[in-house]
Amino acid sequence: MGVAFERDVSGAWNEMFSAPGVARPLYERLLADLNAYQPQELRQRSEQLSRTFIDRGVTFAHSGEERPFPLDLVPRILGALEWDRLSRGIAQRVRALEAFLDDVYGAGRIFDEGLMPRAVITSSPHFCRAASGVTAPNGVRITVAGIDVIRDEHGNFCVLEDNVRIPSGVSYVIENRRAMTQTFSSLFSDHRVHPVDAYPSRLFAALLAAAPRTADDPVIVVLSPGVHNAAYFEHVLLARMMGVELVEGRDLVCRSNHVYMRTTNGERAVHVIYRRVDDDWLDPLQFRPDSVIGVAGLINAARAGNVVISNGVGNGVADDKLVYTYVPEFIRFYLGEKPLLDNVETLRLEDEEARTEVLGSLADYVIKPVDGSGGKGIVIGPHATKAELRSLRKAISAAPRRYIAQRPVALSTHPTFVGDTIAPRHVDLRPFAVNDGDEVWVLPGGLTRVALGEGELIVNSSRGGGSKDTWVLNDEAVGFRGAVPPASHRPRRYPPPPRQNDEFVEPRGEQ
Amino acid sequence: MSGRLGLSIRHDTGFNYDGMAKASYNEARMTPRSLGTQQVQSSRVAVRPVVPLSTHVDYFGTIVTSFDVQETHPRLEVEAVSEVESWAAQLVAPLDWRELRGERLVDRFSEYLWPTARTALVDGLVDEVRGWRDRGDVHECVEAVSSFVRDEVSYVPGATSVSATAQEAWDRRKGVCQDITHVTIGLLRAMGIPARYVSGYLYPTADPVIDDVVEGQSHAWVEYFSGSWTGIDPTNAIRETQRHIIVGFGRDYDDVAPLKGIYQGPQSTQLGVVVTMRRTH
Repeated sequence: MGVAFERDVSGAWNEMFSAPGVARPLYERLLADLNAYQPQELRQRSEQLSRTFIDRGVTFAHSGEERPFPLDLVPRILGALEWDRLSRGIAQRVRALEAFLDDVYGAGRIFDEGLMPRAVITSSPHFCRAASGVTAPNGVRITVAGIDVIRDEHGNFCVLEDNVRIPSGVSYVIENRRAMTQTFSSLFSDHRVHPVDAYPSRLFAALLAAAPRTADDPVIVVLSPGVHNAAYFEHVLLARMMGVELVEGRDLVCRSNHVYMRTTNGERAVHVIYRRVDDDWLDPLQFRPDSVIGVAGLINAARAGNVVISNGVGNGVADDKLVYTYVPEFIRFYLGEKPLLDNVETLRLEDEEARTEVLGSLADYVIKPVDGSGGKGIVIGPHATKAELRSLRKAISAAPRRYIAQRPVALSTHPTFVGDTIAPRHVDLRPFAVNDGDEVWVLPGGLTRVALGEGELIVNSSRGGGSKDTWVLNDEAVGFRGAVPPASHRPRRYPPPPRQNDEFVEPRGEQ
Repeated sequence: MSGRLGLSIRHDTGFNYDGMAKASYNEARMTPRSLGTQQVQSSRVAVRPVVPLSTHVDYFGTIVTSFDVQETHPRLEVEAVSEVESWAAQLVAPLDWRELRGERLVDRFSEYLWPTARTALVDGLVDEVRGWRDRGDVHECVEAVSSFVRDEVSYVPGATSVSATAQEAWDRRKGVCQDITHVTIGLLRAMGIPARYVSGYLYPTADPVIDDVVEGQSHAWVEYFSGSWTGIDPTNAIRETQRHIIVGFGRDYDDVAPLKGIYQGPQSTQLGVVVTMRRTH
């Protein structure tokens, strides 16, 4: 007798079950494996997972406090075919965003063609005039992208937002896998899961490929804002796994447009900086003069071609949420391709008709600030109070460029271990792409974030979310092969939950 | 005078430190470039302490000289010398108001139509000036705004700081060319006329004598778009002449400050700006 699974009454796409108790073929093996455990055992494993994280220091800092990012013990599975489609869509998107950035900081063809108003860019706080004329020798601005996707009610992946500034979270992908293989090795012997540990070497190769041509033996560093940054753990992990130095602003100095790192053996030239410091803080000569975490003179050193800053400075114009609404156009215009992934339906609030419509029924929309991250400032109309909607209405009328509106999408759900039962919780997915200039490689899987509160739709870690190990199977059918007895291809019913204890939670009606 | 004016311009500026400074990073925008109304024959920038210099052209088309000084130094001196031949622009018939408000044009010049923190003015003032659009064509309206600002805001050196906004200068009704330029830009943009900040030099007298060395000015004025960029100098209530030598453009002063930098060390005082000009031909 295994642990109880709560029924999914959300109306959303359930990643594991096609109907109550009927597992999708991809998940049959996993479900059987999980059923072999007693609830008590699962609880133990879950605790073991969190202990692993605390021991390894896998935390994020939020509001001055170190918190673990809870790893759920039920992994998410993506089939080889759907992953192929999804990853091609992600790569296509990154190629289009690269072309767009090149155009925006260059010729501006998209404006001349009348496909996008120039004002969308000039009004973006992330349009960085100081970075105009700064490019890596291989032209790459988006070395790393995190493209957030969700699955809609029909099971289609849609892009929710693009992150091409300093996307974070890949360390959780690596650590989640490490923790799961330690804690749940048996699951991995039943599934052929694509490994994720190639990421650091892929990133290293991409940074190397971006290096100035003049550098014979390029020196790469990871530039972190320091230990108080929410993603410091990740900076440490990536530097260590790539075998490069982790530095802070005070460790670097620019002289005559060359960058040097201060080491115990004197100074050493630096050629590529994988920076995890925001544009605003990167160079006090160009941006905030009060920044003590940046490096004075860095932008001009990059302009001179002696150092490459990765990701590029000024990339924020490409992940502005108003610009997001144009990405399908970019794909058609720059690549001459049909978009493989759709956007979530989004309204531009500068458009008067759209604004009137949205302001008229604000409670029906999700409103997002165009430059927010971490779920900050998002108002979900159906869940908002009257007072919240009132102040939002005022804010939108005053500055429509600052917001976009989306129809609420029921994010797909995934069975998630909560306390004593396994209950459906909403998930999204952030695949990570690495562009080395020749190829956009997408790390198999990515970070599945899960909103741990029932009905909660915002999955960000800063909002109390957790994550799941995300598996891409090498082969669609692999779940039915291998050492274990083959399971039936027929959809089968999951046995009804045990009645003799209180672990079954009654459906609670619509969310 | 009319015709071509040959000028040799020398611009000295810098900082004195109350002690020693080091790790100083700077950008100088002190080099004129060749444009429709001026041809630059030669230019050079020299810095003391002597350090390597780099040059690039920024987003707004201004020539930038960047450098850093690592060694400790009690003062920083920057000298820019250029030889320029200049001539007056012809005033071209302006676009009409409808054309100026065309969607494509408004989009193309959005940066020069929105207020910046430096050029924003209170609604009351802006509303008053907005109604002037009926009084004539674009050139005439710009002249009216320029005269209005000049009449209202007295030229008083030292009345404002280099970081003053248009609104602060307006409230005091006092300022220098930078302030008068910011106020004028703020009003023109509010009227829907694209306007940009011009940094440059002004030969002080109307009839330059060959080989006389005179004290010139580091100056600021306005260009507005009326089909082409057209200059007007509200501080002197005149149009741009061949005595105006352009160094660079921006949305406001901050985009085109002649010398900006950061350093480690004690407080600094500006050495002052000395511009000497000599008519060469």
